[in-house]
Amino acid sequence: MSFETLPASPSQLARYPVEARDAYERFRTTGDAEALRIVVLAAVRDFMPKRNLGATNIEIKDEMKLMEDLGYDSLAVAETVFFFEDLFKVRIENTELMSVRTIGELRSFVSRKLTENKPSA
Amino acid sequence: MSSIPGGRRVLITGLGFITPIGNDRATVSAHLRGGKHGLAPVEFLGNPLIPVKVAGTVKDFSVDSANCRDWTWPARYDLPRETLRGMAPHGVYAFCALSQALEDAGLKPQDIANDDQTGLFCASAGSAMLMYHNLALMHSVKGERGNPMGVVASIAGTLNFNLAAHFHITGAVCGFVSACASASHAIGYASDEIRLGRLKRVVVVGAEELNAETLLPFAAMRALSPQSDPVKASRPFDAGRDGFVGAGGSVVMILEEASLAASRGAPVYAEVAGWGQAADGHSVAMSHPAGAGLQRAMNRALADAGVQPKDIDYVNAHGTSTPVGDRAETIALKSLFNAVGARPAISSTKGLTGHPLSLAGAMEAAFCALAMKEGFTPGNPHLVTPDEACAELLLPRETLPTGPATVLNNSSGFGGSNVCHVLKTVG
Repeated sequence: MSFETLPASPSQLARYPVEARDAYERFRTTGDAEALRIVVLAAVRDFMPKRNLGATNIEIKDEMKLMEDLGYDSLAVAETVFFFEDLFKVRIENTELMSVRTIGELRSFVSRKLTENKPSA
Repeated sequence: MSSIPGGRRVLITGLGFITPIGNDRATVSAHLRGGKHGLAPVEFLGNPLIPVKVAGTVKDFSVDSANCRDWTWPARYDLPRETLRGMAPHGVYAFCALSQALEDAGLKPQDIANDDQTGLFCASAGSAMLMYHNLALMHSVKGERGNPMGVVASIAGTLNFNLAAHFHITGAVCGFVSACASASHAIGYASDEIRLGRLKRVVVVGAEELNAETLLPFAAMRALSPQSDPVKASRPFDAGRDGFVGAGGSVVMILEEASLAASRGAPVYAEVAGWGQAADGHSVAMSHPAGAGLQRAMNRALADAGVQPKDIDYVNAHGTSTPVGDRAETIALKSLFNAVGARPAISSTKGLTGHPLSLAGAMEAAFCALAMKEGFTPGNPHLVTPDEACAELLLPRETLPTGPATVLNNSSGFGGSNVCHVLKTVG
Protein backbone atom coordinates (compact mmCIF):
# COMPACT_ATOMS: atom_id res chain seq x y z
CA MET A 1 0.00 0.00 0.00
CA SER A 2 1.25 3.45 -0.80
CA PHE A 3 -0.19 6.85 -0.06
CA GLU A 4 -1.62 7.33 -3.56
CA THR A 5 -4.24 4.62 -3.09
CA LEU A 6 -5.49 5.70 0.34
CA PRO A 7 -9.18 6.63 0.49
CA ALA A 8 -10.40 10.17 1.17
CA SER A 9 -12.06 11.06 4.49
CA PRO A 10 -11.67 7.70 6.24
CA SER A 11 -14.21 6.98 9.02
CA GLN A 12 -11.36 6.24 11.43
CA LEU A 13 -10.46 9.95 11.50
CA ALA A 14 -14.01 11.26 11.66
CA ARG A 15 -13.65 12.36 15.29
CA TYR A 16 -10.08 13.64 14.97
CA PRO A 17 -9.15 17.34 15.08
CA VAL A 18 -9.43 19.14 11.75
CA GLU A 19 -5.64 19.59 11.65
CA ALA A 20 -5.18 15.82 11.67
CA ARG A 21 -7.83 15.27 8.99
CA ASP A 22 -6.30 17.99 6.80
CA ALA A 23 -2.85 16.48 7.30
CA TYR A 24 -4.16 13.07 6.23
CA GLU A 25 -5.58 14.57 3.03
CA ARG A 26 -2.26 16.31 2.37
CA PHE A 27 -0.34 13.11 2.96
CA ARG A 28 -2.52 10.99 0.71
CA THR A 29 -2.29 13.51 -2.15
CA THR A 30 1.37 14.55 -1.81
CA GLY A 31 3.11 11.98 0.40
CA ASP A 32 4.32 14.85 2.58
CA ALA A 33 6.26 13.34 5.52
CA GLU A 34 5.45 16.26 7.83
CA ALA A 35 1.74 15.70 7.20
CA LEU A 36 2.13 12.01 8.11
CA ARG A 37 3.88 13.08 11.32
CA ILE A 38 0.83 15.14 12.31
CA VAL A 39 -1.49 12.15 11.75
CA VAL A 40 0.74 9.81 13.77
CA LEU A 41 0.99 12.25 16.68
CA ALA A 42 -2.77 12.77 16.70
CA ALA A 43 -3.29 9.01 16.94
CA VAL A 44 -0.66 8.66 19.67
CA ARG A 45 -2.44 11.34 21.67
CA ASP A 46 -5.81 9.72 21.01
CA PHE A 47 -4.79 6.29 22.28
CA MET A 48 -2.75 7.53 25.24
CA PRO A 49 -4.27 6.15 28.47
CA LYS A 50 -5.51 9.20 30.31
CA ARG A 51 -5.65 7.71 33.79
CA ASN A 52 -1.93 7.00 34.01
CA LEU A 53 -0.86 10.46 33.09
CA GLY A 54 -3.68 12.75 34.02
CA ALA A 55 -2.56 15.39 31.55
CA THR A 56 -3.64 15.04 27.95
CA ASN A 57 -2.16 18.21 26.57
CA ILE A 58 1.50 17.45 27.17
CA GLU A 59 3.81 18.07 24.26
CA ILE A 60 4.71 14.83 22.53
CA LYS A 61 8.35 14.66 21.46
CA ASP A 62 10.18 12.23 19.20
CA GLU A 63 12.40 10.85 21.96
CA MET A 64 9.50 10.02 24.27
CA LYS A 65 8.90 6.33 24.98
CA LEU A 66 5.34 5.12 24.50
CA MET A 67 5.22 3.01 27.63
CA GLU A 68 7.61 4.70 30.05
CA ASP A 69 6.86 8.32 29.18
CA LEU A 70 3.33 8.30 27.83
CA GLY A 71 1.76 5.65 30.05
CA TYR A 72 0.90 3.25 27.25
CA ASP A 73 0.20 -0.34 28.22
CA SER A 74 0.56 -3.23 25.78
CA LEU A 75 -3.16 -3.10 24.93
CA ALA A 76 -2.93 0.58 24.03
CA VAL A 77 0.06 -0.22 21.83
CA ALA A 78 -1.93 -3.00 20.14
CA GLU A 79 -4.86 -0.65 19.65
CA THR A 80 -2.66 2.02 18.09
CA VAL A 81 -1.06 -0.49 15.77
CA PHE A 82 -4.47 -1.78 14.69
CA PHE A 83 -5.54 1.81 14.05
CA PHE A 84 -2.63 2.33 11.66
CA GLU A 85 -3.19 -1.05 10.02
CA ASP A 86 -6.82 -0.21 9.46
CA LEU A 87 -6.22 3.39 8.39
CA PHE A 88 -3.34 2.72 6.01
CA LYS A 89 -4.35 -0.83 4.96
CA VAL A 90 -1.04 -2.34 6.00
CA ARG A 91 -0.16 -5.40 8.03
CA ILE A 92 2.22 -5.00 10.95
CA GLU A 93 3.88 -8.11 12.40
CA ASN A 94 4.56 -8.68 16.09
CA THR A 95 8.29 -8.73 15.45
CA GLU A 96 8.11 -5.33 13.78
CA LEU A 97 6.07 -4.03 16.65
CA MET A 98 8.74 -5.04 19.15
CA SER A 99 11.24 -2.66 17.56
CA VAL A 100 9.04 0.41 18.14
CA ARG A 101 9.59 2.04 21.51
CA THR A 102 9.69 5.79 20.95
CA ILE A 103 7.51 8.25 19.09
CA GLY A 104 10.29 8.84 16.58
CA GLU A 105 10.64 5.11 15.91
CA LEU A 106 6.87 4.83 15.48
CA ARG A 107 6.83 7.70 12.97
CA SER A 108 9.63 6.36 10.87
CA PHE A 109 8.18 2.85 11.07
CA VAL A 110 4.77 3.98 9.75
CA SER A 111 6.48 6.04 7.05
CA ARG A 112 8.63 3.09 5.97
CA LYS A 113 5.64 0.80 5.99
CA LEU A 114 3.79 3.11 3.63
CA THR A 115 6.59 3.29 1.11
CA GLU A 116 8.09 -0.23 1.16
CA ASN A 117 5.36 -1.75 -0.98
CA LYS A 118 5.13 1.15 -3.37
CA PRO A 119 4.45 -0.13 -6.87
CA SER A 120 7.60 -0.02 -9.03
CA ALA A 121 5.76 1.87 -11.76
CA MET B 1 -33.96 -18.83 58.83
CA SER B 2 -31.34 -19.96 56.42
CA SER B 3 -30.33 -23.60 56.50
CA ILE B 4 -26.69 -22.62 55.84
CA PRO B 5 -24.52 -23.11 58.93
CA GLY B 6 -23.04 -20.01 60.45
CA GLY B 7 -26.18 -17.93 60.35
CA ARG B 8 -24.73 -15.39 57.94
CA ARG B 9 -27.39 -13.17 56.42
CA VAL B 10 -27.23 -11.42 53.05
CA LEU B 11 -28.47 -7.86 52.75
CA ILE B 12 -29.11 -5.68 49.72
CA THR B 13 -27.34 -2.40 50.52
CA GLY B 14 -27.13 -0.59 47.22
CA LEU B 15 -28.91 -0.40 43.88
CA GLY B 16 -28.02 1.18 40.55
CA PHE B 17 -30.46 1.54 37.67
CA ILE B 18 -30.02 2.10 33.95
CA THR B 19 -33.41 0.88 32.76
CA PRO B 20 -36.16 1.65 30.27
CA ILE B 21 -38.13 3.24 33.14
CA GLY B 22 -35.35 5.42 34.46
CA ASN B 23 -31.65 5.90 35.02
CA ASP B 24 -31.85 6.66 38.73
CA ARG B 25 -33.74 5.30 41.72
CA ALA B 26 -36.23 8.17 42.01
CA THR B 27 -37.30 7.95 38.36
CA VAL B 28 -37.60 4.16 38.48
CA SER B 29 -39.68 4.40 41.65
CA ALA B 30 -41.98 7.01 40.09
CA HIS B 31 -42.56 4.82 37.03
CA LEU B 32 -43.26 1.71 39.11
CA ARG B 33 -45.67 3.57 41.40
CA GLY B 34 -47.39 5.37 38.54
CA GLY B 35 -47.58 2.34 36.26
CA LYS B 36 -45.75 4.31 33.56
CA HIS B 37 -44.04 2.19 30.94
CA GLY B 38 -40.65 2.90 29.35
CA LEU B 39 -41.36 1.47 25.91
CA ALA B 40 -40.72 3.57 22.81
CA PRO B 41 -41.04 3.19 19.02
CA VAL B 42 -38.06 1.52 17.35
CA GLU B 43 -37.03 0.71 13.81
CA PHE B 44 -34.14 -1.67 13.22
CA LEU B 45 -31.86 -1.82 10.17
CA GLY B 46 -33.80 1.05 8.61
CA ASN B 47 -36.49 -1.41 7.66
CA PRO B 48 -40.09 -0.53 8.52
CA LEU B 49 -41.24 -3.99 7.40
CA ILE B 50 -39.73 -5.71 10.44
CA PRO B 51 -42.62 -6.58 12.78
CA VAL B 52 -40.85 -5.21 15.87
CA LYS B 53 -42.27 -1.78 16.57
CA VAL B 54 -41.59 -0.97 20.22
CA ALA B 55 -38.90 -1.80 22.77
CA GLY B 56 -37.77 -0.92 26.28
CA THR B 57 -35.22 1.63 25.18
CA VAL B 58 -32.43 3.10 27.30
CA LYS B 59 -32.52 6.88 27.33
CA ASP B 60 -29.59 9.36 27.53
CA PHE B 61 -27.08 6.93 26.02
CA SER B 62 -25.92 6.54 22.44
CA VAL B 63 -24.17 3.21 21.91
CA ASP B 64 -25.35 2.15 18.47
CA SER B 65 -22.01 2.50 16.68
CA ALA B 66 -19.59 -0.40 16.41
CA ASN B 67 -16.83 2.06 17.37
CA CYS B 68 -16.77 2.78 21.09
CA ARG B 69 -15.30 6.21 20.39
CA ASP B 70 -18.68 7.30 19.04
CA TRP B 71 -20.59 6.37 22.19
CA THR B 72 -22.03 8.89 24.62
CA TRP B 73 -23.37 8.51 28.17
CA PRO B 74 -24.49 10.87 30.94
CA ALA B 75 -21.62 13.22 31.77
CA ARG B 76 -21.67 12.48 35.50
CA TYR B 77 -20.08 9.05 34.94
CA ASP B 78 -16.29 9.13 34.64
CA LEU B 79 -15.62 6.35 32.15
CA PRO B 80 -12.00 6.58 30.99
CA ARG B 81 -10.98 5.66 27.47
CA GLU B 82 -8.72 2.86 28.62
CA THR B 83 -11.72 1.15 30.22
CA LEU B 84 -14.10 1.98 27.39
CA ARG B 85 -11.81 0.40 24.78
CA GLY B 86 -12.61 -3.15 25.95
CA MET B 87 -16.31 -2.66 26.52
CA ALA B 88 -19.53 -3.59 24.78
CA PRO B 89 -22.48 -1.19 24.66
CA HIS B 90 -24.11 -2.93 27.62
CA GLY B 91 -20.82 -2.57 29.50
CA VAL B 92 -21.31 1.18 29.43
CA TYR B 93 -24.76 0.77 30.96
CA ALA B 94 -23.25 -1.54 33.58
CA PHE B 95 -20.41 0.83 34.42
CA CYS B 96 -22.92 3.60 35.09
CA ALA B 97 -25.26 1.36 37.10
CA LEU B 98 -22.32 0.07 39.15
CA SER B 99 -21.08 3.58 39.90
CA GLN B 100 -24.60 4.52 40.96
CA ALA B 101 -25.01 1.41 43.17
CA LEU B 102 -21.74 2.09 44.98
CA GLU B 103 -22.84 5.63 45.73
CA ASP B 104 -26.24 4.37 46.83
CA ALA B 105 -24.57 1.91 49.22
CA GLY B 106 -22.36 4.63 50.67
CA LEU B 107 -19.24 3.09 49.14
CA LYS B 108 -16.45 4.64 47.15
CA PRO B 109 -14.60 2.81 44.37
CA GLN B 110 -11.55 2.58 46.64
CA ASP B 111 -13.64 0.67 49.23
CA ILE B 112 -14.05 -2.28 46.87
CA ALA B 113 -10.67 -1.99 45.10
CA ASN B 114 -8.12 -4.64 46.05
CA ASP B 115 -10.43 -5.94 48.78
CA ASP B 116 -10.16 -9.72 48.96
CA GLN B 117 -13.61 -9.92 50.54
CA THR B 118 -15.41 -8.24 47.63
CA GLY B 119 -16.44 -10.23 44.56
CA LEU B 120 -18.08 -9.35 41.26
CA PHE B 121 -20.71 -11.63 39.67
CA CYS B 122 -22.06 -10.61 36.27
CA ALA B 123 -24.80 -11.72 33.92
CA SER B 124 -24.61 -10.97 30.22
CA ALA B 125 -24.94 -12.74 26.91
CA GLY B 126 -22.06 -10.78 25.38
CA SER B 127 -22.43 -8.38 22.48
CA ALA B 128 -23.78 -9.94 19.30
CA MET B 129 -23.44 -6.55 17.60
CA LEU B 130 -19.71 -6.15 18.28
CA MET B 131 -19.11 -9.82 17.52
CA TYR B 132 -20.79 -9.37 14.15
CA HIS B 133 -18.71 -6.30 13.27
CA ASN B 134 -15.43 -7.81 14.41
CA LEU B 135 -16.00 -11.03 12.49
CA ALA B 136 -17.18 -9.13 9.41
CA LEU B 137 -13.86 -7.23 9.41
CA MET B 138 -11.98 -10.50 9.88
CA HIS B 139 -13.66 -11.98 6.83
CA SER B 140 -13.25 -8.82 4.74
CA VAL B 141 -9.46 -8.73 5.23
CA LYS B 142 -9.14 -12.53 5.17
CA GLY B 143 -7.98 -12.66 8.75
CA GLU B 144 -5.04 -10.29 8.28
CA ARG B 145 -5.98 -7.85 11.01
CA GLY B 146 -8.54 -7.22 13.71
CA ASN B 147 -9.44 -5.04 16.65
CA PRO B 148 -7.21 -6.19 19.53
CA MET B 149 -10.05 -5.49 21.98
CA GLY B 150 -12.58 -7.45 19.92
CA VAL B 151 -12.56 -10.57 22.10
CA VAL B 152 -12.88 -8.91 25.49
CA ALA B 153 -15.50 -6.49 24.19
CA SER B 154 -17.81 -8.99 22.57
CA ILE B 155 -17.78 -12.48 24.07
CA ALA B 156 -20.00 -13.51 26.97
CA GLY B 157 -17.89 -12.48 29.96
CA THR B 158 -17.20 -8.99 28.66
CA LEU B 159 -18.91 -7.46 31.69
CA ASN B 160 -16.84 -9.37 34.24
CA PHE B 161 -13.56 -8.82 32.37
CA ASN B 162 -13.93 -5.08 32.11
CA LEU B 163 -15.57 -4.23 35.41
CA ALA B 164 -13.22 -6.43 37.44
CA ALA B 165 -10.20 -4.76 35.85
CA HIS B 166 -11.53 -1.23 36.20
CA PHE B 167 -12.71 -1.57 39.80
CA HIS B 168 -9.71 -3.74 40.85
CA ILE B 169 -11.83 -6.63 42.11
CA THR B 170 -9.68 -9.23 43.91
CA GLY B 171 -12.18 -11.31 45.93
CA ALA B 172 -13.66 -13.26 43.03
CA VAL B 173 -15.01 -12.60 39.55
CA CYS B 174 -17.23 -14.72 37.34
CA GLY B 175 -20.08 -14.61 34.88
CA PHE B 176 -23.37 -16.41 34.44
CA VAL B 177 -24.93 -17.45 31.15
CA SER B 178 -28.39 -19.01 31.51
CA ALA B 179 -30.27 -16.67 29.17
CA CYS B 180 -33.16 -14.97 30.95
CA ALA B 181 -32.26 -16.58 34.30
CA SER B 182 -28.63 -15.36 34.19
CA ALA B 183 -28.86 -12.44 36.60
CA SER B 184 -30.98 -14.48 38.99
CA HIS B 185 -28.27 -17.12 39.04
CA ALA B 186 -25.72 -14.39 39.79
CA ILE B 187 -27.77 -13.20 42.78
CA GLY B 188 -28.28 -16.75 44.04
CA TYR B 189 -24.66 -17.80 43.88
CA ALA B 190 -23.52 -14.43 45.23
CA SER B 191 -25.77 -15.02 48.25
CA ASP B 192 -24.29 -18.47 48.75
CA GLU B 193 -20.72 -17.15 48.65
CA ILE B 194 -21.62 -14.73 51.43
CA ARG B 195 -23.58 -17.29 53.44
CA LEU B 196 -20.71 -19.77 53.18
CA GLY B 197 -18.32 -17.15 54.50
CA ARG B 198 -16.20 -17.04 51.35
CA LEU B 199 -16.89 -13.37 50.61
CA LYS B 200 -18.38 -10.54 52.61
CA ARG B 201 -19.61 -8.47 49.71
CA VAL B 202 -20.60 -9.24 46.12
CA VAL B 203 -21.37 -6.70 43.43
CA VAL B 204 -24.02 -8.32 41.21
CA VAL B 205 -24.34 -6.92 37.71
CA GLY B 206 -26.88 -7.69 35.02
CA ALA B 207 -26.82 -5.96 31.65
CA GLU B 208 -28.17 -6.36 28.17
CA GLU B 209 -27.98 -4.30 25.03
CA LEU B 210 -30.87 -3.45 22.76
CA ASN B 211 -30.05 -3.55 19.07
CA ALA B 212 -30.90 -5.49 15.94
CA GLU B 213 -28.24 -8.12 16.57
CA THR B 214 -29.50 -8.95 20.07
CA LEU B 215 -33.23 -8.62 19.55
CA LEU B 216 -34.18 -9.61 16.00
CA PRO B 217 -33.11 -13.25 16.36
CA PHE B 218 -36.02 -13.51 18.83
CA ALA B 219 -38.35 -12.27 16.10
CA ALA B 220 -37.08 -15.18 14.02
CA MET B 221 -38.27 -17.46 16.84
CA ARG B 222 -41.68 -15.71 16.66
CA ALA B 223 -41.27 -14.76 20.31
CA LEU B 224 -41.76 -10.97 19.97
CA SER B 225 -44.98 -8.98 20.01
CA PRO B 226 -45.67 -7.25 16.67
CA GLN B 227 -47.80 -4.55 18.33
CA SER B 228 -46.97 -0.89 17.83
CA ASP B 229 -49.03 0.29 20.82
CA PRO B 230 -46.77 -0.09 23.88
CA VAL B 231 -49.72 -0.75 26.16
CA LYS B 232 -50.81 -3.70 24.03
CA ALA B 233 -47.32 -4.93 23.20
CA SER B 234 -46.24 -5.92 26.71
CA ARG B 235 -49.25 -7.20 28.67
CA PRO B 236 -48.25 -10.19 30.79
CA PHE B 237 -51.10 -12.53 31.78
CA ASP B 238 -53.58 -10.81 29.43
CA ALA B 239 -55.67 -13.06 27.18
CA GLY B 240 -54.55 -11.01 24.17
CA ARG B 241 -50.79 -11.18 24.84
CA ASP B 242 -48.81 -12.07 21.74
CA GLY B 243 -45.11 -12.08 22.56
CA PHE B 244 -42.51 -10.20 24.55
CA VAL B 245 -41.03 -6.75 24.01
CA GLY B 246 -37.22 -6.50 24.05
CA ALA B 247 -35.38 -4.19 26.41
CA GLY B 248 -31.88 -3.10 27.36
CA GLY B 249 -30.09 -1.59 30.34
CA SER B 250 -28.23 -2.60 33.45
CA VAL B 251 -28.98 -3.01 37.13
CA VAL B 252 -26.42 -3.48 39.86
CA MET B 253 -27.07 -4.77 43.38
CA ILE B 254 -24.60 -4.59 46.24
CA LEU B 255 -25.01 -7.64 48.49
CA GLU B 256 -23.29 -7.58 51.86
CA GLU B 257 -23.00 -9.89 54.83
CA ALA B 258 -25.13 -8.42 57.62
CA SER B 259 -22.32 -7.78 60.09
CA LEU B 260 -20.28 -5.89 57.49
CA ALA B 261 -23.31 -3.82 56.55
CA ALA B 262 -24.00 -3.07 60.23
CA SER B 263 -20.40 -2.19 60.99
CA ARG B 264 -20.34 0.53 58.38
CA GLY B 265 -23.91 1.70 58.91
CA ALA B 266 -24.94 0.75 55.38
CA PRO B 267 -28.46 1.49 54.15
CA VAL B 268 -30.49 -1.73 53.86
CA TYR B 269 -33.22 -2.44 51.31
CA ALA B 270 -34.03 -6.06 52.10
CA GLU B 271 -32.56 -9.44 52.91
CA VAL B 272 -31.96 -12.13 50.30
CA ALA B 273 -33.46 -14.77 52.56
CA GLY B 274 -33.03 -17.70 50.20
CA TRP B 275 -33.09 -18.93 46.67
CA GLY B 276 -33.76 -22.04 44.65
CA GLN B 277 -33.33 -23.36 41.16
CA ALA B 278 -34.59 -26.29 39.14
CA ALA B 279 -34.65 -27.31 35.50
CA ASP B 280 -37.52 -28.31 33.21
CA GLY B 281 -35.74 -31.01 31.22
CA HIS B 282 -38.24 -30.33 28.49
CA SER B 283 -37.43 -27.94 25.62
CA VAL B 284 -34.57 -25.85 24.31
CA ALA B 285 -36.69 -22.72 24.30
CA MET B 286 -40.19 -23.29 25.66
CA SER B 287 -41.29 -23.62 29.26
CA HIS B 288 -42.56 -26.93 30.55
CA PRO B 289 -46.33 -26.73 29.90
CA ALA B 290 -47.14 -27.02 33.60
CA GLY B 291 -44.15 -25.01 34.77
CA ALA B 292 -42.74 -28.10 36.48
CA GLY B 293 -39.21 -26.76 36.91
CA LEU B 294 -40.47 -23.40 38.07
CA GLN B 295 -42.67 -25.09 40.70
CA ARG B 296 -39.66 -26.95 42.05
CA ALA B 297 -37.52 -23.82 42.00
CA MET B 298 -40.16 -21.84 43.93
CA ASN B 299 -40.51 -24.61 46.50
CA ARG B 300 -36.75 -24.81 46.94
CA ALA B 301 -36.46 -21.03 47.34
CA LEU B 302 -39.18 -21.00 49.98
CA ALA B 303 -37.59 -23.93 51.82
CA ASP B 304 -34.17 -22.26 51.70
CA ALA B 305 -35.65 -19.07 53.14
CA GLY B 306 -37.66 -21.00 55.74
CA VAL B 307 -40.99 -19.49 54.67
CA GLN B 308 -44.36 -20.97 53.68
CA PRO B 309 -46.44 -20.02 50.60
CA LYS B 310 -48.86 -18.11 52.86
CA ASP B 311 -45.95 -15.89 54.02
CA ILE B 312 -45.41 -14.49 50.51
CA ASP B 313 -47.08 -11.08 50.06
CA TYR B 314 -45.97 -10.41 46.50
CA VAL B 315 -44.62 -12.37 43.55
CA ASN B 316 -42.67 -10.54 40.86
CA ALA B 317 -43.45 -13.02 38.10
CA HIS B 318 -41.18 -13.80 35.18
CA GLY B 319 -44.28 -13.07 33.01
CA THR B 320 -42.75 -12.03 29.70
CA SER B 321 -46.09 -11.69 27.87
CA THR B 322 -45.63 -14.77 25.69
CA PRO B 323 -48.65 -17.07 25.37
CA VAL B 324 -46.79 -20.26 26.37
CA GLY B 325 -44.50 -18.86 29.09
CA ASP B 326 -47.15 -16.96 31.02
CA ARG B 327 -49.50 -19.94 30.94
CA ALA B 328 -46.82 -22.26 32.36
CA GLU B 329 -46.00 -19.78 35.12
CA THR B 330 -49.72 -19.37 35.91
CA ILE B 331 -50.09 -23.11 36.42
CA ALA B 332 -46.95 -23.23 38.58
CA LEU B 333 -48.12 -20.30 40.72
CA LYS B 334 -51.56 -21.84 41.20
CA SER B 335 -50.10 -25.17 42.22
CA LEU B 336 -47.90 -23.51 44.84
CA PHE B 337 -50.30 -20.96 46.31
CA ASN B 338 -53.88 -21.98 45.62
CA ALA B 339 -53.41 -25.46 47.00
CA VAL B 340 -52.85 -23.96 50.48
CA GLY B 341 -55.28 -21.07 50.11
CA ALA B 342 -52.56 -18.43 49.80
CA ARG B 343 -53.24 -15.45 47.53
CA PRO B 344 -50.24 -13.15 47.16
CA ALA B 345 -50.36 -10.14 44.87
CA ILE B 346 -48.69 -11.07 41.59
CA SER B 347 -47.39 -8.75 38.90
CA SER B 348 -44.89 -8.76 36.08
CA THR B 349 -43.04 -5.46 35.83
CA LYS B 350 -42.08 -6.46 32.27
CA GLY B 351 -45.36 -4.80 31.32
CA LEU B 352 -43.57 -1.52 32.02
CA THR B 353 -40.00 -2.34 31.01
CA GLY B 354 -40.20 -5.02 28.37
CA HIS B 355 -37.95 -8.05 28.78
CA PRO B 356 -34.23 -7.37 29.18
CA LEU B 357 -33.16 -11.03 28.85
CA SER B 358 -29.98 -11.68 30.90
CA LEU B 359 -30.66 -8.59 33.00
CA ALA B 360 -34.24 -9.50 33.98
CA GLY B 361 -33.58 -11.23 37.31
CA ALA B 362 -31.40 -8.45 38.74
CA MET B 363 -33.67 -5.69 37.49
CA GLU B 364 -36.75 -7.27 39.01
CA ALA B 365 -35.07 -8.19 42.28
CA ALA B 366 -33.99 -4.56 42.52
CA PHE B 367 -37.56 -3.38 41.79
CA CYS B 368 -38.77 -5.65 44.60
CA ALA B 369 -36.15 -4.32 47.00
CA LEU B 370 -37.11 -0.76 46.11
CA ALA B 371 -40.82 -1.48 46.58
CA MET B 372 -40.12 -3.10 49.97
CA LYS B 373 -38.08 -0.17 51.17
CA GLU B 374 -40.41 2.53 49.86
CA GLY B 375 -43.68 0.78 50.71
CA PHE B 376 -45.57 -0.03 47.53
CA THR B 377 -46.39 -3.09 45.44
CA PRO B 378 -46.15 -2.85 41.63
CA GLY B 379 -49.29 -3.69 39.66
CA ASN B 380 -50.14 -4.85 36.13
CA PRO B 381 -51.27 -1.63 34.44
CA HIS B 382 -51.46 -3.17 30.94
CA LEU B 383 -53.71 -6.03 32.02
CA VAL B 384 -57.17 -5.59 30.47
CA THR B 385 -58.64 -9.07 30.11
CA PRO B 386 -56.81 -11.60 32.28
CA ASP B 387 -56.25 -14.98 30.67
CA GLU B 388 -58.95 -17.24 32.06
CA ALA B 389 -56.23 -19.57 33.32
CA CYS B 390 -55.28 -16.75 35.72
CA ALA B 391 -58.77 -16.50 37.24
CA GLU B 392 -57.69 -17.63 40.70
CA LEU B 393 -54.61 -15.40 40.86
CA LEU B 394 -54.56 -11.94 42.44
CA LEU B 395 -53.25 -9.72 39.64
CA PRO B 396 -53.81 -6.11 40.75
CA ARG B 397 -53.82 -3.59 37.93
CA GLU B 398 -53.04 -0.59 40.11
CA THR B 399 -50.00 -0.18 42.31
CA LEU B 400 -50.84 -1.18 45.89
CA PRO B 401 -50.05 1.50 48.49
CA THR B 402 -48.35 -0.90 50.90
CA GLY B 403 -45.03 -2.65 50.54
CA PRO B 404 -44.66 -6.42 50.77
CA ALA B 405 -42.73 -7.93 53.70
CA THR B 406 -41.85 -11.17 51.94
CA VAL B 407 -41.37 -11.41 48.19
CA LEU B 408 -40.81 -14.19 45.69
CA ASN B 409 -39.01 -13.18 42.48
CA ASN B 410 -39.18 -15.61 39.53
CA SER B 411 -36.98 -15.97 36.46
CA SER B 412 -36.88 -18.59 33.74
CA GLY B 413 -34.48 -19.01 30.85
CA PHE B 414 -33.89 -21.08 27.73
CA GLY B 415 -33.23 -24.74 28.27
CA GLY B 416 -35.69 -24.84 31.16
CA SER B 417 -33.56 -22.96 33.68
CA ASN B 418 -35.69 -21.62 36.57
CA VAL B 419 -34.37 -19.49 39.44
CA CYS B 420 -36.34 -17.91 42.30
CA HIS B 421 -35.36 -15.66 45.20
CA VAL B 422 -37.11 -14.88 48.44
CA LEU B 423 -36.55 -11.34 49.75
CA LYS B 424 -37.59 -10.25 53.23
CA THR B 425 -37.80 -6.84 54.82
CA VAL B 426 -35.30 -6.21 57.59
CA GLY B 427 -36.88 -4.80 60.75
